[in-house]
Amino acid sequence: MSETLRRIEIPIIITIVCTLLQVVPYFVNVPPIEAASDTFRSWMVLVATCSTLIGAITLTMGHSKTIQRQGKGWYFSVLTIVFMLVMILTGLPIPEVGLGEKNLVYDFCFKNILTPLGATMYSIIAFFLTAAAYRSFRARSLEATIVLIAGCLMICYNAPLMTVAWPGFTPIGDWIFSVPNMATMRAVIIGSALGAIALAVRALLGMERGYLRGGGEE
Amino acid sequence: MAILIEGRIFGLLCLLAIMLAVVYYVQRAKGGKVPKVRRVAGVDAIDEAIGRAVEMGRPVFCSHGISGMRDATYGPQTIAGLGVLDHVAKKCAEVGARLIVPVRVPSVWPVASEIVETAYKVAGKPEEFNVDDVKYLSNDQFGYSSNYLGLLMREKAGANIMVGAYWAESMQLAETGNRVGAMQISGTANQHQLAFFVVATDYCLIGEEIFAASAYVTGDPALLSSLAGQDVGRILGVILMVLGAILITMGSNVLINLLGW
Repeated sequence: MSETLRRIEIPIIITIVCTLLQVVPYFVNVPPIEAASDTFRSWMVLVATCSTLIGAITLTMGHSKTIQRQGKGWYFSVLTIVFMLVMILTGLPIPEVGLGEKNLVYDFCFKNILTPLGATMYSIIAFFLTAAAYRSFRARSLEATIVLIAGCLMICYNAPLMTVAWPGFTPIGDWIFSVPNMATMRAVIIGSALGAIALAVRALLGMERGYLRGGGEE
Repeated sequence: MAILIEGRIFGLLCLLAIMLAVVYYVQRAKGGKVPKVRRVAGVDAIDEAIGRAVEMGRPVFCSHGISGMRDATYGPQTIAGLGVLDHVAKKCAEVGARLIVPVRVPSVWPVASEIVETAYKVAGKPEEFNVDDVKYLSNDQFGYSSNYLGLLMREKAGANIMVGAYWAESMQLAETGNRVGAMQISGTANQHQLAFFVVATDYCLIGEEIFAASAYVTGDPALLSSLAGQDVGRILGVILMVLGAILITMGSNVLINLLGW
């Protein structure tokens, strides 16, 4: 029985049915198909929600092992597990006993720990960006020189001091942004969309199997 | 009541044309006619990156972005990233490199774990598979990225392969990978992140190249031929753009009406 359940044809059939149920109602107006599609979408939400539990279990198991063998930075694992449990327990949707989003501990942790940490991580991108720009913006080749010049012009375009000093930066920046930049972006978007369609067709034909446990070679 | 939804018929026809083209080229490949596919330097460099990591005695990192598999726009990127992970895992199992897979979305974790486990089984080394190396980090974007950065620094990655949908964390990951001296191969179809990957990593797969990567690495003629089907869509797109420009210049709305059919 377990061998039958592990057959690669099963996930392929599920993929084909789910894909068709999402694509077909977009183009055709057949109520039963639409109803089936809605049901599948509800299942999808349920599966995704249940998978959060997998995340919590995996996280606990991984960090517990690190704590057990006192591996590198094991105290961070203690913090991770403690805060995960605190957030799960205090965030349980039972407002009658004071739990949920309005719980004081949950609210404090969310506003004073999670949000500032997230903001910090986001803001340090500026420093990473500067370091990458310093390393990459060198006129080593024609392409690199074009990137360097365009980058410098865009910096000037975005710096009020520079546009005040020479207003010519504004039309140049606008042109770079709306002509070569836009053309490149559109080419990437069209190419990506076509690539995604080809991937979907390969998946529908059961040819794209890389994401199915190594193509079922087991 | 019309069965076909108005305003989407032309899109359906275009989609069918591209799908039929892909099927046609796949069937053609079965008859022995395989189109020539240009080399993708970033994909060719994967083996080199893994080999380098083995020589340095460092682990290989392979991530597939921070999106799940069910999103219509970003899901295909995750699937493409998992296709690359399949290839990387097989290579790592073959040469005995330690593979670390950072995961953000819980529903993707079992898929990634199965891919890596199967790769080790196929290589005849199931005992070398360590489930703890397929790491679920955090569902939070920056929780994930800070964990990933910490791992890169602590484990001293020898190679960092990132193919999938990335957002603001792309620059953080690429720069940290660079700092620890990892050879980096990146790829995304999120055009707003491409510039970061291009400047900060050694090789970058741009847009559609990530979708072609999983077909390219297998070397399977039928899969490679499906890439030629994409070109039919591209030609169709160019024809529509040129035709549209000419017709609009002439003051005709024929194409606009047709697109809205």
